Amino acid sequence: MKLGQKIILIITGIVLVVGIGATCYVFYKPHRNIAKEKPAFKMEASGLFGEFNMNEDLGNEKFGDQVIQVTGKVAEITIDDNGISIILNNSMEAINCTIDAQYEERARKIEFGDSVTIKGRCDGFDMIMGVVLSKCIIIE
Amino acid sequence: MKLKYFLLTIFIGLMWGSYAQKYITKSGRIDIVSNSPLFTVEGVNKKVASILNTETGELVISMLIRSFEFEEALMEEQFNGNYMQSKTYPKSIFKGRISNIKEIDFAKDGKYKAQIEGKITIHGITKEIREQGLISISEKMISAESEFYISLSDFDIKIEKAFKNSIDDKVLLKVNFKFNKQ
Repeated sequence: MKLGQKIILIITGIVLVVGIGATCYVFYKPHRNIAKEKPAFKMEASGLFGEFNMNEDLGNEKFGDQVIQVTGKVAEITIDDNGISIILNNSMEAINCTIDAQYEERARKIEFGDSVTIKGRCDGFDMIMGVVLSKCIIIE
Repeated sequence: MKLKYFLLTIFIGLMWGSYAQKYITKSGRIDIVSNSPLFTVEGVNKKVASILNTETGELVISMLIRSFEFEEALMEEQFNGNYMQSKTYPKSIFKGRISNIKEIDFAKDGKYKAQIEGKITIHGITKEIREQGLISISEKMISAESEFYISLSDFDIKIEKAFKNSIDDKVLLKVNFKFNKQ
């Protein structure tokens, strides 16, 4: 085999590997694992609400897309077709936690008034929902 | 002292009256579907909040962009990063009304056509929209559905050159809410 042919073969090989790698990366890249992530903040539910309520933009800047661990009293539990939501603190000043599908079994044991610690990804703040945490897992 | 209780009773009465016609959901669902010959992108947000005043027809819808879920993690990243820029524009809001609210009898089970009009804000841009929806009433439960298209370019959502031909400008929105009395 000539040197030129060898080089072409090697280049083709590299392109192929990179191509397959990129495709796998696009389609099989795993979702962020909130359960394994260390929380960037650990705080009381009322404190988290307070920070967003005072300044929503600053709240988004500080907590947006971050994993946060909150502790608070259960004020509301909603179970419907769209999953389980646990509202901490109180209905008007809520931390609205969407429970990850894998933790639904655990979440069903929680009752109104319990004090719980939940970890989830902060999606932001809304006047109706309060502070929204997604993919939540129950710590205790 | 008696006056105080009297006023309090009136106040609670008024509150009750004004609350009576309000229906709310904090777990509404909106699906987005982008269809093109090459591939279909589907995302879902199961955390949509909405308040409907059945007396005046006023309707408010609010959702956080980060709450959209996609099957592929990379899609979710792209959606939040390049397209919706959720860091800068974390939420979408609709404020408007059901203009034919008087034609809907909330006391009677059935399906009613609803004309929805108002302002929608996506990606920091506000547009006037007018769409059709369907209100279903069954045993005092109110559900609302609507399907309509929005154009990405209307909201200044840019598609990279490489995907210009594989992502359509028109995106289908499927709205599905089940309201509870507030």
